[in-house]
Amino acid sequence: MTMQQVVKVTVNGVSYERNVEVRLTLADFLRVELGLTGTHVGCEHGVCGACTVLMNGRSVRSCLMLAVQADGAEIMTVEGLADDGRLHPIQQAFMEEHGLQCGFCTPGFLMAVYELLGSNPDPSDEEIRESLGGQICRCTGYQSIMRSVKSAAAKLAGARV
Amino acid sequence: MAVDIPKSFAGLPATETKWVGRGVNRVEDPGLLTGRTEFVDNLVKPGMVHCAILRSPYAHARVISIDASKAEQLPGVVAVVSGEDARRWSNPAQTMPEGWGCYCLVVDKARFVGEPVAAVAAVNRYVAEDALELIDVEYEPLPVVAEAAAAAEAGGPLIFEDKPSNVMYQRVFNWGDVDAALARADHVFSESFRWHRLGANPMETFGVIAEWNPVDQSAVFQGSFQSQSHMGLGRAAVLGLPSHKVKMISQPHGGSFGGKGGFRGCDIAVLLSRKCGGRPVKYIEDRMEYLLAGASQAWDRHYQASLAVDNDGKVLALDVKLLDDLGATAEGFGAVSAAKPLAAFTGPYAIEVARYDLTLVATNKLPASPYRGMGPPPHNFVIEQLMDIAARELGLDAAEIRRRNYIPPEAFPYTIASGNEYDSGRYEAALDKVLEMSDYAGLRAEQARAREQGRYLGIGIASTIEPGVFDWNAYAIVGLPSTGVPEGVSVGIDILGKIYVKVGFSLEGQGQYTLACQLLADYFGVDISDIAVVYQDSHSAPPHFGPGGSRLGVAMTGAILGAAQLLKEKLIAMAAALMQTDAANLRMLDGMIGIEGVPEAQMHSAQVAATMLARSDLLPPGMDPNPECTYVWTAPGRTPADEEGRAKSYLTAANACHVVCVEVDPDTAMVEILSYYIADDCGTRLNPATVEGMTQGGVAQGVGAALLEEYVYDEEGQLLTSTFMDYLLPTINEVPMTQKAALVTPSPFTPLGAKGVGEGAIHTTPAAIMCAINDALAPLGVRAREVPASPNRLWKLMQEAKAG
Amino acid sequence: MKAPVFEYAAPQSVEEALSLLGACQGESKIIAGGQSLMPLLNMRLARPDLLVDIGRIAGLDYIRDADGGLAIGAMTRQSDIERSALVAQRQPMLAAGTRFIAHPQIRNRGTIGGSISHADPAAVYPALAVALDMQIEVAGPAGHRSVDAADFFITYLTTALEPDEILVELRLPGFPPRAGWSFKEVSRRHGDFALAGVAATMEVDSSGVCSFARIVLFGVAAVPLRVEAAEQLLLGSKVEQSLFEEAGAMTSDTLDEPLSDIHASADYRRHLAGVLTRRALAEAAGRAA
Repeated sequence: MTMQQVVKVTVNGVSYERNVEVRLTLADFLRVELGLTGTHVGCEHGVCGACTVLMNGRSVRSCLMLAVQADGAEIMTVEGLADDGRLHPIQQAFMEEHGLQCGFCTPGFLMAVYELLGSNPDPSDEEIRESLGGQICRCTGYQSIMRSVKSAAAKLAGARV
Repeated sequence: MAVDIPKSFAGLPATETKWVGRGVNRVEDPGLLTGRTEFVDNLVKPGMVHCAILRSPYAHARVISIDASKAEQLPGVVAVVSGEDARRWSNPAQTMPEGWGCYCLVVDKARFVGEPVAAVAAVNRYVAEDALELIDVEYEPLPVVAEAAAAAEAGGPLIFEDKPSNVMYQRVFNWGDVDAALARADHVFSESFRWHRLGANPMETFGVIAEWNPVDQSAVFQGSFQSQSHMGLGRAAVLGLPSHKVKMISQPHGGSFGGKGGFRGCDIAVLLSRKCGGRPVKYIEDRMEYLLAGASQAWDRHYQASLAVDNDGKVLALDVKLLDDLGATAEGFGAVSAAKPLAAFTGPYAIEVARYDLTLVATNKLPASPYRGMGPPPHNFVIEQLMDIAARELGLDAAEIRRRNYIPPEAFPYTIASGNEYDSGRYEAALDKVLEMSDYAGLRAEQARAREQGRYLGIGIASTIEPGVFDWNAYAIVGLPSTGVPEGVSVGIDILGKIYVKVGFSLEGQGQYTLACQLLADYFGVDISDIAVVYQDSHSAPPHFGPGGSRLGVAMTGAILGAAQLLKEKLIAMAAALMQTDAANLRMLDGMIGIEGVPEAQMHSAQVAATMLARSDLLPPGMDPNPECTYVWTAPGRTPADEEGRAKSYLTAANACHVVCVEVDPDTAMVEILSYYIADDCGTRLNPATVEGMTQGGVAQGVGAALLEEYVYDEEGQLLTSTFMDYLLPTINEVPMTQKAALVTPSPFTPLGAKGVGEGAIHTTPAAIMCAINDALAPLGVRAREVPASPNRLWKLMQEAKAG
Repeated sequence: MKAPVFEYAAPQSVEEALSLLGACQGESKIIAGGQSLMPLLNMRLARPDLLVDIGRIAGLDYIRDADGGLAIGAMTRQSDIERSALVAQRQPMLAAGTRFIAHPQIRNRGTIGGSISHADPAAVYPALAVALDMQIEVAGPAGHRSVDAADFFITYLTTALEPDEILVELRLPGFPPRAGWSFKEVSRRHGDFALAGVAATMEVDSSGVCSFARIVLFGVAAVPLRVEAAEQLLLGSKVEQSLFEEAGAMTSDTLDEPLSDIHASADYRRHLAGVLTRRALAEAAGRAA
């Protein structure tokens, strides 16, 4: 039993080790302890999806996890998408299709889309809705996001050929 | 020097426009997409501590005592403040109407659940929240005023004891002889409506880092401010400081929609900073705080309205009585939302006579705040329901009654009954366009078939005006004396030829930095990537307001083109000296300054600017060496309000017509949106992709308003919707993917002919969906008069119909 | 919205977890996927002295064949159940119902054991536990015990689990090959908790007569609710629309005090329960071979 514990994680390929309070959420761990502030916090009760990251390849709410629960895990955040400033095809698609306005929810959307397109390279409208139904955007009205996801799928398919 | 802002692209010094008018990729996006944009919660300052706020659990209660000694002793706690500190170091909030404000922390009694009572600064937010639990507050609960109607009655509990009642404001505006029109009309259709509280909910809540400087008694606030200068003036008044002792630094922020708020958050954070000797104090409002006590709630309205109509469907008068529940205080500028409908009181219709009977009351709920649209969306809902009621009673089609009442294109500029002037528009053309897109006749045929099968299919049509480019005079009736809203920028060229523009607003989501780059790229014939948009704080920027009231796109276009013209003229004067010719012989085109008819006599504007900076010996006599010019734009032709509130206020009147088809499940009362069509006209589209985004985003918020979003209070003034589990924002599953068409009727009065469009479709969507629902329910003989039309409400209504 | 102070332990075995729970002087709480508990912690509505994280215990995350049925480890993620070919084959309604739980990001963390232990009256898994006759395997200080789902849910957020016990496994019989099923709910938005929902199963003999029926409502009462009166009505009757209508009406009638909140009144819930039952029975009958 402890109130403080060492957490070792790999985030975007980099290993980190921090001794933290056990009550610290993964979102606060990433943002405050590691300085990875691209993951945003919108509601802290798991509804808005802004804080979505990938843990061991799966999208999760980083506000609904303790950092200690992620001990040993591989995590990917929005900072892990672009390569030395070159946008990932998903990011490129969101820019070209105007899939963002204020951009606060966007990191969560990008990570959810990353997971979706990883397992389903050519999703239907229905499948896109299903995977993004837990991500709230207050600006775009989702239409440009829908286009962005389809464009991203096409870009990724093109890259594979 | 006379500045003549071009009213069309043809007026720009470019052979052809390559950037403005096109849906170019946004310069904001790479930073946002990679998580690099610095939202306020990303910032860390040396010595920074974190604020948490203790809030009243009662809607109305006297605070007898506060004991924070245990909290102060908790390791990690740096300072605790309460009402005593607020009284010592600050003033009550200034409000509209005047005199309905209080201190940022309760000094005598709490007036709504969630009102700040005390606050803690500690090493981190976790410890600060631990400390809140150690503060003992003794309350004496008081009787609660939970309902607007009860609040308006005499003899009940008073929310402000120094006032004779809870009525903040009451006035009747008569624009023409409404009673005569009602008496004269063939028909008068009357109905009551209820619009429940809803609000902005940007995905980023409010946040600030406040820093008190004990040496020179000044304050710096760095945070997510929609309008930094506006916010700064308010803070100076509350803190009793001269304006130059309050500096506001606006970070990029995650949306606002009018509802970012943060007045009390700033004030409390700076009191804490002062108490701990000037350490920076960060306050990040969490979502439950936002829902409970932020700038989250707007438009809590009870309407009684009548439409006087002749047999041929011609509307003679509109009579609207509004009881608006502003909550516990007037600190949130909720009154402005009740005044704004004056800018478009009669919608797109030529209704010459109107009345507005307006009562604003205080209750023990959260003070109301602005929200996108700022008041007209409920008003439009009322007008459009009345139009449909009239059509149904007269046996007219919903499209036809609107067609018969539109202001015709040749009537512009057109002054409406409530005093504002509409610049231009082709309302019938928009209607025809959307009817064609939607195959309206086909939809009606489908509806007829569905009805035969016992299905409730409904088609809604709504036509509205979006007032654009707000002016303070629009709110004169609730106490704003100003006319005009200045927006200033500085445009310059650096010594190596790159162009910059200094602005007094940060990123909020509307793509304004991109628009600045588009305009300047075309003006000076460079690539969009050659331009830097430089943010300036409230002390550095020229007079500015920033985004709000569908203004910034138009206003900043005016400011940038004005500054660019001044710069162009200065560069030409310099070039004339260098080329040893008269300035009148020179012109600038695509960034090259040359003598007309002499192709070889050319200098690039960047080269001229560099020469100004590097060769003072070549400057003409009397010219300073600064290739930078400032211009402050304000809307032309605005007039102060008369005694009946009439003014030329909002400069532009964009218009839209929506057609939506819904199906109401006869068993579950769930509403499904089957298809959605939009034709709109905001004049010249400076960035069509951005306009499309504004429109669709407004549709989403309109869907939320019509079907999902509602703040519910119980009779004790307790909020029952303090999480996103209960306050329901629309998701990708609820928002329709709309089909849109653009009409372009440029404004004759604005820079490049653009009209304000930032508030988008929220003006129209709730009205359209409610029209469709009522069309669906028409065979049952019932009307949905409450927004949102939740399944619970609709089911009850349908049950009543079945019961007869 | 930051969690209060608590102690944390991540035992490696069920035995270790049990001894931690047994030794705890104050309030202990088990965290599995945490998708219900974490919001409560962030809101400081849950205030355990000790949080026991069973996510590090090996061997609680599995979906296995068990005598033609299924054995599912308590820590099995909802998204694994959703995607499991074995689940789709043995218990298609379990796979289908899982898709009604929130959103993929929640299902990636949320577990079947956590959901059933939490016992939200509007949740999917407690209703499916009752509808599919799950056996709930519980480890405690005195050893294992097995609880019928029908006896497991006591009231709102309260189950037969003692504070020193851990739910370790769910056991389900195989779905009868000729049976039909239907899972329906009404919610404000896709993925929200149901205002009302129903899980129904039915078997129909060769003459078109109902030989088995199970109707379980959720979101309408403090616990998942079997509607035995309507089941009795169906048994031995010829399946047809009028029968489903009668069963739906009966279902509404049997609810004396449905839940009521800001999203749905008691009357509306009662009505929805009847509508959904009628619709679900028609679908289940259609699926029954």
